[in-house]
Amino acid sequence: MSGSEERRNRLLQIGSAAAFLVVAVVLVLIVISANKTSGGDTNLEDVGLVGNQLKGIPQNGLVLGEPSAKVTLYEFGDLKCPVCKAFSEEIVPNVIDSKVRDGEAKIEFKNFTIIDEESTPAGAAAIAAGAQGRGWSFIELFYRNQGPETSSYVTDAFLTEIAKGAGVPDITQWNKDRKSPKTVAEVESTTQEAEKLGFTGTPSFAVEGPGSNGLETLGTPGSSEAIEEAIDAAG
Amino acid sequence: MIATFVAAFGIGVATYIAIADSGGGSPVCIAGGGGCETVANSTYSHLLGINIAVFGIAGYVLLLAASLLRGDAARMVGFGVSLVGFGYSVYLTYLELFKIEAICQWCVASAALMTILFGLNAIRMVGYVGKPA
Repeated sequence: MSGSEERRNRLLQIGSAAAFLVVAVVLVLIVISANKTSGGDTNLEDVGLVGNQLKGIPQNGLVLGEPSAKVTLYEFGDLKCPVCKAFSEEIVPNVIDSKVRDGEAKIEFKNFTIIDEESTPAGAAAIAAGAQGRGWSFIELFYRNQGPETSSYVTDAFLTEIAKGAGVPDITQWNKDRKSPKTVAEVESTTQEAEKLGFTGTPSFAVEGPGSNGLETLGTPGSSEAIEEAIDAAG
Repeated sequence: MIATFVAAFGIGVATYIAIADSGGGSPVCIAGGGGCETVANSTYSHLLGINIAVFGIAGYVLLLAASLLRGDAARMVGFGVSLVGFGYSVYLTYLELFKIEAICQWCVASAALMTILFGLNAIRMVGYVGKPA
């Protein structure tokens, strides 16, 4: 075998070994990431799903839907509440698809903090995300990644991951806003509003539109159909 | 010649992603939707605190240089860089599909360009390495 052939074979062997190594590394990376549990501060659940669910719908503050929609559905919720999470996954998406997406109604989320002391910073973080047009993305993503009701998981790191996953563009500003006394006062104010309306649990709903007698409370409807009927009646 | 063009195009795509990220935002998907935003906001978009598009730019620049140079060193560097780029693109596409659950057209475009470059550089290496320049 000539010198140049030997050299060619050696280089081809190096190339083959490199290819083999890269295939092995990629497989290892995929296996590691596949085994990584979701949640925590590196992997949020359902970022894409929430993005798709809200795609194309305007978000202003904690209002989801066309600002000009004649009917407003109010949801008084607590981000730490497991029943609110169930509503967010099973009932509210149907209402969004049938009534909000077409501009018939808009939904405004109002904090009604009843679980524990972590409910307030969570709600304030949602308001701060709302200030950057990501309120509902934050709320929905929080619910999808909600921890056990009695555990203390609402840390700065957790909230920051949710905000990033929700696409809040300016995290520094969001941090400033969520800790401002004005934002915290807003959470307390909507909680008082819910109490004045006679609500005792979350989520509680109310509706207002040209066909309603002012703000009408709905309590906690058992189905999306019940909410849709209330929207129709208020329209 | 084709590799030079593809690498130059890759530099453009990676630069766009890096600039969009450095501005505090994210790349805009041409067909609308939030896929690019979701991917850019995911924790996978940065490696050691640096946007992976920056690594992409470096890779494409090396591939552009390798495509313009002659000799075994250029062939081996072109093959090696495109191999790593292709491998990482496979990993990132897996992440988009199964972990982030969102597709960013710009990332797909870069993965496609890197795949083409890997094919071209592999042909160049296997076909000509060890032979006179």
